[in-house]
Amino acid sequence: MSLLFYIGALLIVIGALCDFFGALGLLRFPNFYVRLHAATVGIIGGAAVPLFGVALLALGADFLPHRYAIAGASFVTGIVVLIVSPAGSHALAYAAHKAGLVDWEPEVDHLAGVEGDG
Amino acid sequence: MGLESQFMLLMKFVMPIYLLAFVLYAVRAFKGPTIADIILAVDCLSFDVAAFMAILAVYFRSVYLVSGAMVLALWGYLLDIYVAKHIAEGEVGA
Repeated sequence: MSLLFYIGALLIVIGALCDFFGALGLLRFPNFYVRLHAATVGIIGGAAVPLFGVALLALGADFLPHRYAIAGASFVTGIVVLIVSPAGSHALAYAAHKAGLVDWEPEVDHLAGVEGDG
Repeated sequence: MGLESQFMLLMKFVMPIYLLAFVLYAVRAFKGPTIADIILAVDCLSFDVAAFMAILAVYFRSVYLVSGAMVLALWGYLLDIYVAKHIAEGEVGA
């Protein structure tokens, strides 16, 4: 049982590091489309991975009351984050590109000629 | 050394990293040049607060924090979709 605890603790530490580097990238990167990359590191690596880590850790922790409830709820929340965050980021990027919110200097713009899909 | 004191030691390392990341996200959310940057930063902040609430549920030994985490994750998705629709179409219709 304590093997699950150590795997969960390792996943939580990885999640904290990914969260910190994602936040640093979100603060330092130049424009919105590059910041989306850092935000994805911060969400998938920094929220979904520690949620699965909390699920494993709570399964292995025998000092915890209601540990099965905490493990199941955080596992379901991890799967919800894993499904929902790419959809939201994609919708936001599509909206920003369609409305022309962001000033940028693209080398190649494959979406420039594609119109009339709304 | 039991599992509980090992978990407290883990929290002592992990909690400052999470709080520093929250501060960085909040700085981007306050100074973001466009609406999309602000919404992206608030989105990251809500997902990561959800993960941090799941960790705090183990720390405080309470089940009720995890239900709040799930509601927070779904709220971040709702904010994304509504603001994207508002930017793209100019209105939030059906």
